[in-house]
Amino acid sequence: MITLEHYLVVAATLFSIGLVGFLTRRNLITMFLCAEMMLQGVAINLVAFARYHGNLQGQVFVLFIVAVAACEAAIALALFLTLYRRNRSLDSTDWQTLRELGVPPAVDTEPLPPAPPETPDIHLPPAGIRPALTTEEAARV
Amino acid sequence: MSSPTELALTILALPLLAAILAAIFSCTPFRAAANWPLIGACALAAALALILVGQIASATGSRAVSDAITWFQAGKLQVHFTLTIDPLSAIMLAMITFIATWIALFSTGYMHGDPGFGRYFAIMSLFVFSMCGLVLANNFLLLVAFWEGVGLCSYLLVGYYFEKPSAAAAARKAFLVTRIGDTGFIIGIFLLWKLGGWHTDLTALFDHIQQNRPDEATLTTALLCLFCGAVGKSAQFPLYVWLPDAMEGPTPVSALIHAATMVTAGVYLLARCAPVFAISPVAQCTVAWIGGITALLAAFLALGQYDLKRVLAYSTVSQLGFMFVALGTLGAIHPAFAVTAAIFHLFTHAFFKALLFLAAGSVMHAMGGVIDMRRFGGLRQLLPITHITFLCGAAALAGIPLLSGFWSKDLILEALTEASESASPYTAAYFVLLGVALLTAFATAFYTFRAYFLTFWGEQKVPDEAGHHAHESPRIMTIPLLILAIGAVFVGIVAEPFTHWFSNFLGETPSLQQAAVMAHSPVPEHHFNWSIALLSSLLALGGVGIAYALYRKGGPEELPGGVAPIFALSRNKLYIEDAYEAAIVEPVTGLAGLARVCDGLLDAITRLVSSLPRFVGQWLRPMQNGLVQFYALSMTLGLVVFVAFVMFRVAR
Repeated sequence: MITLEHYLVVAATLFSIGLVGFLTRRNLITMFLCAEMMLQGVAINLVAFARYHGNLQGQVFVLFIVAVAACEAAIALALFLTLYRRNRSLDSTDWQTLRELGVPPAVDTEPLPPAPPETPDIHLPPAGIRPALTTEEAARV
Repeated sequence: MSSPTELALTILALPLLAAILAAIFSCTPFRAAANWPLIGACALAAALALILVGQIASATGSRAVSDAITWFQAGKLQVHFTLTIDPLSAIMLAMITFIATWIALFSTGYMHGDPGFGRYFAIMSLFVFSMCGLVLANNFLLLVAFWEGVGLCSYLLVGYYFEKPSAAAAARKAFLVTRIGDTGFIIGIFLLWKLGGWHTDLTALFDHIQQNRPDEATLTTALLCLFCGAVGKSAQFPLYVWLPDAMEGPTPVSALIHAATMVTAGVYLLARCAPVFAISPVAQCTVAWIGGITALLAAFLALGQYDLKRVLAYSTVSQLGFMFVALGTLGAIHPAFAVTAAIFHLFTHAFFKALLFLAAGSVMHAMGGVIDMRRFGGLRQLLPITHITFLCGAAALAGIPLLSGFWSKDLILEALTEASESASPYTAAYFVLLGVALLTAFATAFYTFRAYFLTFWGEQKVPDEAGHHAHESPRIMTIPLLILAIGAVFVGIVAEPFTHWFSNFLGETPSLQQAAVMAHSPVPEHHFNWSIALLSSLLALGGVGIAYALYRKGGPEELPGGVAPIFALSRNKLYIEDAYEAAIVEPVTGLAGLARVCDGLLDAITRLVSSLPRFVGQWLRPMQNGLVQFYALSMTLGLVVFVAFVMFRVAR
């Protein structure tokens, strides 16, 4: 028999993992995923309680959370993209230049391993040259 | 363009247009041409005003009131833009535009090369516009608007040399002192508005008061409040102190604003309100007394002054006092006669006083800005035209027989004689005032010729500042002098004594006839009073004679023993200004100081409060270290503490 407590334990675990991940990781995308994980933990919590109380309020709320999380993901990823373009890095500590004037910068006690050499972006073939069709495609056309 | 209303509107619009043009010119390379709009507008307006006078004279008793355009309204207060064209306003309009034309021409020479040339002419044009509007307005609030307009222009022009602290102070003084009078003026207008059936149009208001005679005490209060405005604007006792200081402005300004036109606005106001003044003997008597006191006091103050322009300024105050004395006899004799006497004196005074000021300006121009009579003298040969024209003006002002000043002063003395023999309850007062007026006439002749002799007679003496300027002024300045000199000599004899053209013309003014009906005045009879005329001529000649005896050798002034203290008293302005300083200015300054201290205290408290957030911010600022993890951690820890707190409180 799966009771409310089981759900709550799962939710709490999920939330804690997310929180710890958020606080310890420096990669922006990882931090974002952790934040999402915390959100899902909360969502499970809400659904569990909705089920327990036998009403739909929690579930409706969760639908909203999911919708908001989708928007948030779109915005956050767009922001990360621009940040990456500026610094060629997803390290969140690179942005500590935004601190108050006069505060000394935080120094890494364990520096990150040196970044691998950048591989050139994959480009599409120049316009005007059509890729050759396979026989199967040609048959369909 | 043929009806009086359209003519009046055109006359009003011309100087406004000139003001706009001059203002535009003054910010373009045409700056040196900024005088032409004013000259052209004034000349054209003067021509139109003469046509207007002709039209009014041919249609006897005509009063044209323009269609009422509602300016604004609030409840019972309805304010219309209406103009009234009757003999009184027509003659004023003609006088203002005519004098302004010549003064504008004179200014062209006088202000030549001044850095504020364009500004000067723009403000002068605005002044002529406001003055024409003031004369034409048929609505009390419209009148106030133009009244303040001329006050503003006066302020701007007195403070024309605003880099000079004394000029700035004089402008401020002129503005503030007249403001005291204007406060009373506004109160008076609203009292009259209440008494006059909530009308603000002059004609409607007077008609209403004629039909429903108000309580006399209330009416008198309203009229005395109204008179306060006139006292301030026309520099009467006790608010005359601003006018002598206003001489800090350029001299043509003194000629136009502080001699010929603006300062006569108070006289005009009372003449315009003759129907209501006619039914309040107390108000009339007050007006007459104030006028008499001012006339004598100012004449006394003019005796000892060394500043040529100040002598003329005090003389203006004194002559304005004369006009108010004449207006004070309004109800005792036929109102038309009293108003004619006052307005005729205003009319001739405008000519000779403008002339005297312009001549003084010419002297000042030649002397390189020096106006102290102790520092120059014997300018007869140096400035021949200025000398002759100044002599004409001085003789007219002194009341030498057959010159214009003689006739107008005589009319006032006659009015006073008649008033002292009338059925008025205050005949004794009028008799005393007659004596005061005669004494003033004597003093006027004396101080005018004292100034004349000190300036033009004796050994030639030129101050160092004059430099290469010490020669007769250019023709553009002497021609206006000559024209005005001709006016000062002949305008009196042409307009009044033999033809009675002026009094007949002005007597047709509907509001004056209305005043006569309201005061139940007897029909006026013109008879030239030989004894009064003889007495005043003798006094005038006596004054000139004494001045000749004392000053024909020119400066430095040598006074017979015993008179010197009196002159010293006059030079010190009877210590009246010092008394004002001690009684009014210093307490107010003290109060202002106290207010400043309180203000500083409040400011300190406000600053203390506002420095608190800044201090806290200073303390918390290092938290902002730019690390997202740090923020998240502090948020989590804070949340943990908060949740723990809530949980344990709830659990307990």
